[in-house]
Amino acid sequence: MTLLPWRRNANEAGREESSFSDLALPLLPGLYNLARWLARDSGDAEDLVQEALLKALRGFGSFEPGTNFKAWIFRILRNTYLTSQTGLAATRTVALEDELNEGGNGGPSVYPEGAIDRRTPEAALLKMRDADALYAAMEKMPPHLKEVIVLCDVEEMKYREIAMVAGIPIGTVMSRIARARAFLRRTLEEQPSAVGREARL
Amino acid sequence: MTSHLTLAQLAALADGELAGDDLRAAKEHIDACLACANRAIDDWMLKTAVAKAGRRYDAPAEFRDRMAGLIAEGVLPAKSESGVRRVSTGGRANWAALTGWVAAAALLIALGTWGTVHYRSQNGIEAERNALVSEACDLHIAMLAGNGPPQVISSDRHTVKPWFQGKLPFTFNLPEALPADATLDGADLAYLENRPVAQLFFSIGKHHVSVFVEQKNATGVPGALHTSHAGFQVAGFSTQDLDVVAVSDVDPLRLGELMNALQQSQVHR
Repeated sequence: MTLLPWRRNANEAGREESSFSDLALPLLPGLYNLARWLARDSGDAEDLVQEALLKALRGFGSFEPGTNFKAWIFRILRNTYLTSQTGLAATRTVALEDELNEGGNGGPSVYPEGAIDRRTPEAALLKMRDADALYAAMEKMPPHLKEVIVLCDVEEMKYREIAMVAGIPIGTVMSRIARARAFLRRTLEEQPSAVGREARL
Repeated sequence: MTSHLTLAQLAALADGELAGDDLRAAKEHIDACLACANRAIDDWMLKTAVAKAGRRYDAPAEFRDRMAGLIAEGVLPAKSESGVRRVSTGGRANWAALTGWVAAAALLIALGTWGTVHYRSQNGIEAERNALVSEACDLHIAMLAGNGPPQVISSDRHTVKPWFQGKLPFTFNLPEALPADATLDGADLAYLENRPVAQLFFSIGKHHVSVFVEQKNATGVPGALHTSHAGFQVAGFSTQDLDVVAVSDVDPLRLGELMNALQQSQVHR
């Protein structure tokens, strides 16, 4: 039987430690950042990252060097989050309509006719440059959308890698990213702009 | 392409995920459609803004140092038999030094050592088993919490089993006949202790059951397993090649019937 990559153990003493350290430490900022976005609390984020690192190091013998370590360890972090108290609470509150829309029946939706045409790219740019508004919009986003948008835009992962991390088909990644952006756009539209806020002060 | 680009197509365009004919068609459409051109710019700007704003949280320096230290020390391996060994070797050595000249004591040392190793080995297996049970329950709870539908939804064993081809480095059998009231609902590829496993979903009446099938590993966990964790019943068996663990809130007898059926089916591999 030909063993798949993850079954080829590499347990030589010494190699395991240095390789894990070399691979994992550069990803620590990204892991913490995603954990912090998901957990919304710095203490919980630290716990998540530490537990994920523990699990990763324990299972590192079954990881083949040269394959996608980043997707592998982010998947461990994501699973750790999902089974944490915060993660379980969050998944319970995902709106049913979100899950129903995700099935792909009827395909992804389009922009409401004229939704973008009413504003110019310049107006949109002004909104998006308002960092506080964008943070607030991201904070409001459901975790299953937030994780894909952070992995895509911040961690610059390809859809294929995000599918590996989240354990979902690529089509679902596409639809979640599209819905995440639609959510951000809608939330930014509803928020008063920084200019407006300053004018009121 | 005459109709407007969909949200997903626009997102994929901004993310550089369109290729070949899809990319050509999208570009042709954007050249001719001002609305979609604006939308594409909008998506691209949003992506750029999120890339910047999303990198918001820096790990505290103290935390980074702590993690680097833990990894460097190799403390994380938990199971760190090495850590246990360091402590115990020292203890045994001191004791041996004090009593080494007495022949009778040598026998005691030997017996004591055997007892200690046996005790620790039992403890190690127990710890492995508890960790496995706990993680299996976590995965089952996550499934109950509605973390997306299974990747394969089918009650047909001829659909579910072949779905794992190429995804797992082993294979397994599904029983032809299930106990009364039990149905196969689907399956997923999951990770248990970071090893790829088949997570099979069954229903017994209105109770959901997760059955994890994995390649037998060196620790010999789970062996025969009947326990409960966080209110869930956990049952398991091992064959020559596989370890199987089931988690459910159904009563132990009915879970046992399902596990028996699964175990019997492995005999005829």
